[in-house]
Amino acid sequence: MTTDLTRRSPTPPQGSVKDRRPRRVGPVRQLVVPLLLALELVVFASLSDNFLTSGNLANVVLNSVDLALIAGGLTLVIILGGIDVSTGPALGVVAWVVGTLTVAGVPPPLVVLLAIALGGLMGLINGAIVSLLNVTAIIATLGTAAVWQTTLFGLWGGTDLFAPPVSTYAAADRLFGVPTVAFLVVVVYAVLWYVSRYRAFGRHVYAVGNDIEAARLSGVLVRRVTLLTYVLVGCLVGLAAVVYMARVGVVQASSGADLSLAAIAAVVVGGTSITGGRGSVIGTLFGVLFIAVLQNGVVLTGVPPLWNGVLVGLFILLAVGIDVVSDRLSARRAARA
Amino acid sequence: MSAVTSQFSRVHISGLLRERTALLIALIIATSVAMSFISPYFLVVDNLLTMTQFGAVIGLLALGQTLVILGGGGGIDISVGSMLSLCGVLMGMVVAQGVSVWVAAATALAIGLFLGALNGFLVTVVGIPALIATLGTLYLFGSSAQVLAGGTQIGGFDQAGFSFLGTGTVIGIPTQVLFVLLPVYALAAWAMRRTLFGRRVYEVGNNDRASRLVGASPARTRFSLYCLSGLLAGLGAVVTNSWLLVARPGAGEGFELQSITIAVLGGTHIFGGRGRVSGTLLAVLLIVILSSGLQLAGVDPSWQAGVLGVVLVLSVVLNNAFVRGSGERA
Repeated sequence: MTTDLTRRSPTPPQGSVKDRRPRRVGPVRQLVVPLLLALELVVFASLSDNFLTSGNLANVVLNSVDLALIAGGLTLVIILGGIDVSTGPALGVVAWVVGTLTVAGVPPPLVVLLAIALGGLMGLINGAIVSLLNVTAIIATLGTAAVWQTTLFGLWGGTDLFAPPVSTYAAADRLFGVPTVAFLVVVVYAVLWYVSRYRAFGRHVYAVGNDIEAARLSGVLVRRVTLLTYVLVGCLVGLAAVVYMARVGVVQASSGADLSLAAIAAVVVGGTSITGGRGSVIGTLFGVLFIAVLQNGVVLTGVPPLWNGVLVGLFILLAVGIDVVSDRLSARRAARA
Repeated sequence: MSAVTSQFSRVHISGLLRERTALLIALIIATSVAMSFISPYFLVVDNLLTMTQFGAVIGLLALGQTLVILGGGGGIDISVGSMLSLCGVLMGMVVAQGVSVWVAAATALAIGLFLGALNGFLVTVVGIPALIATLGTLYLFGSSAQVLAGGTQIGGFDQAGFSFLGTGTVIGIPTQVLFVLLPVYALAAWAMRRTLFGRRVYEVGNNDRASRLVGASPARTRFSLYCLSGLLAGLGAVVTNSWLLVARPGAGEGFELQSITIAVLGGTHIFGGRGRVSGTLLAVLLIVILSSGLQLAGVDPSWQAGVLGVVLVLSVVLNNAFVRGSGERA
């Protein structure tokens, strides 16, 4: 019943930035990605014998952990009504630091802490530019993305950095046949889900994303919430960098660069509205899996990897297109009722 | 009612923009002086030539970006670079069929228009937010260019005097600047100031509802802006191909950041409705001077991206300071 009430808004979804769209993830939308994921699994399983092997599925998981960690934090940023396109280059910078520290023999727990702190600092810079200097998030993070990219280039200095994994937990270890890092993702997502649903901070993130003025008037400390959200995604980028480094083992001038857009793609495919105010980290997890399975399956079925981007692009448009159109239809139905 | 609002805001806008123009010109002079101290080669004709040749392509994309952002409603086109790559590769494939290079160039323009229309359709008809729609097509167009080119370059453009467009000069000015960039900017400046279309763009950029009330269709206006952005990307592809004489599938990579930076630096407000074509042209000039100066000073091109990022953020902080100073928006 409450959903019906919130849906009674005939405003067309496109147009003004502050439209009043229904804020909950619609029933259609909630099913789109799980269904597409199931379809994907069936298609790839029938096309390739190697797809449904435990070894391959573990690979899919292993390869998507860093993306999952970034996308989880990014979900909150996007629910807040912001965006962060600097996550990939930030991961590259932290990965370089992680590699250097590991080679230098710094104890692993310290490396992980420093990685999270450095990522958090970079997030803090983004958050400060957005919330204190009032620069639109897309502009601010496009700017810092370029700065991180350049920083990495300077650190890299012409020679690729090779480093062993910080810990075997972060790379090859399995527990019941599942890569241990997968449990890290489960824990992080459980915490994010709990915080976003049941803690004041999480509700404030939704409130700011829905209507920043209303949130401010009802006493939400908008600047602090904004700052904290960007710090949070930064910390997760730092953690992701540790896993990335353990998986890839080498840092190059462009390491991580393609993760920025992949993370945004995972979030929006997972049903979080890019205009803010609605979405969930659970949806994002499906989005991540969807993209990871797609990339893996494409390789296994022998399609040249160049096609990856074409498919990712198509699925972003398909998933968000279905979302937007189903929203508009239900709004129209509600208006007629 | 809308006429009143737009008249009203225009009074404020003109003051704001004059400051922006003065600022840009001051920055251009300061950068040029600094660069000619750093490198004695800076003011040599050859260098100025190369500088502006590079500037022509990014200038075309930045103009498209400016138009799309001016249209408001969260409008942005991050697929400009991918459109350029795809148009360039398709043009190469047409040339490889033995068709005249000029016909192929026309085809590239038509394809650009079509790709832009696709963006416009996704944003204004389907209703996908512009950032996401063009993110999707960024992947789609960029990867299509890679797939079609098979990961390699396509040549065959060196015929029928085509290279003159990209490498020739007339009275010392590069052809693509004299015959492409400047006329296009002049036309755009005229259209934005003197035609109903230009007026409509500022109206939808400022106020959706008001513009609908005077009988304009915001969707239709925005749709045509995405088409124009695509067309300009197609034109950029033609110029790139005649300059490099090969179509590279990654030719447009990174241009999305540069084009947004230039548009914003030129005084275009990211939420639309405010900004001017002439500001974008001045910003192109500034960026070109900056990056070529850095290159001459021996700074690796990869560092320029970082400088550009800082410039981008600073220019918005500056924008905010000006906007708040004039008391136009709280």
